[in-house]
Amino acid sequence: MDPYEVEFIGENRIISVIPNFSYDKIYLICGEFGPFRAGLPINVPLWLAMMLKQKQKCRIVPPDWMELDTLENIKEEEKRSRFFTKMPNEHYMVEAKLILGAASEDVPNAAEIKTIIKDIWDIRMSKLRTSMDALMKSGGGYGRLDHLTMMEINSAKPILPSAMDYLLQIQKKAQQRLQQPSALNTSTFSQSGSSQNT
Amino acid sequence: MDLTDDNIALSEDEEEEITAEVVLKTLQSAWQNERLAPEILPHRNDMVECMLGQIQHMERNINKLPKTDLRATIHKMELSRIKFIICNYLKTRLSKIEKYCIPILNEERQRVESGTNFLTPMEYKYAQEYLLNMENHMKTVVLDKMPGNMQMFETNKMAEHPNMQSHVFLKANETINGVVLEDLAGEDEEIDLEEGSQHILQYKPIADLVKNGKVQLI
Repeated sequence: MDPYEVEFIGENRIISVIPNFSYDKIYLICGEFGPFRAGLPINVPLWLAMMLKQKQKCRIVPPDWMELDTLENIKEEEKRSRFFTKMPNEHYMVEAKLILGAASEDVPNAAEIKTIIKDIWDIRMSKLRTSMDALMKSGGGYGRLDHLTMMEINSAKPILPSAMDYLLQIQKKAQQRLQQPSALNTSTFSQSGSSQNT
Repeated sequence: MDLTDDNIALSEDEEEEITAEVVLKTLQSAWQNERLAPEILPHRNDMVECMLGQIQHMERNINKLPKTDLRATIHKMELSRIKFIICNYLKTRLSKIEKYCIPILNEERQRVESGTNFLTPMEYKYAQEYLLNMENHMKTVVLDKMPGNMQMFETNKMAEHPNMQSHVFLKANETINGVVLEDLAGEDEEIDLEEGSQHILQYKPIADLVKNGKVQLI
């Protein structure tokens, strides 16, 4: 799966915006939103928020978790714990990228927030790498990965499943060799013995 | 102006009405599963048809609207997103049909009798014609120029089977007890999947769970 497809799925999340226009309720197929009143916050899907922001028709309200203290706590928690901690939501990277990309002026301390989110991502990715390594070395056919978000899993998709497939094939071949009675035992020794003599 | 019917009756037998929102969510998870599963999954043509009907209805209504930028743009954007999901879903299915043509046709022949087909009638026809074209192509380009005893198009040897033991990531939608993982040494390991937990394991043990919606591939 491509990263932009994960982003597409993440864009269905609901965030809050403050429109600068007024409009009645909109009946979309994915739900109804509105009525829009200038200056009052309203919940809309992320893709809609991005479009409104690009047309300069709204201000984005950063989600609750996107502030310095919360993110610092999450980062500390992630550093301390050996396993993956629960992220504020399933698509934190998609939301962060889109909101900080299009609407960084609406987010207080945008630059520091970018750095902290990047640090959290790096810590989680390095944990993912070490645990993939451990999984492969233990000859694993099964692993549990709670609290990993979709984007992180997607980054491991080119490598981990195919590595495990190959490991399985190698194990199968090895097992077949063991089960087949070896026809090579004594006859070749005697043959090589005789060829050495001549 | 009422721009959409939110309630659609699924069929005359079922009293329950399903909203367009639910159909869209089902279609999205069906798309995700189809992208990530190694084999072809049962078709969700009812959902696709329903969505297509909704899209047509919406497009008619949008065209009736004057060129008021905002509402038309928003609806058009949503329709583009839905069209992308549908197109990609159908494209993925078609590419799987083309790749695993022969096993799919064999299995489908058995399934048609029991009424649990995985392919829609159109897809079935496409698969049969694709196989026929492939055979003709091979015959005219290669096989007829081979010595006499090698001119058979051996369907068994040409068949490419999907790798049911490839590893996939999945998320459990409900608690499932007793998934049996076969180990090569013959030691079967039985694991439980808690609701909301995520795992990586072989596709084969969970194939049925994907098909009845108890786990979601991620």
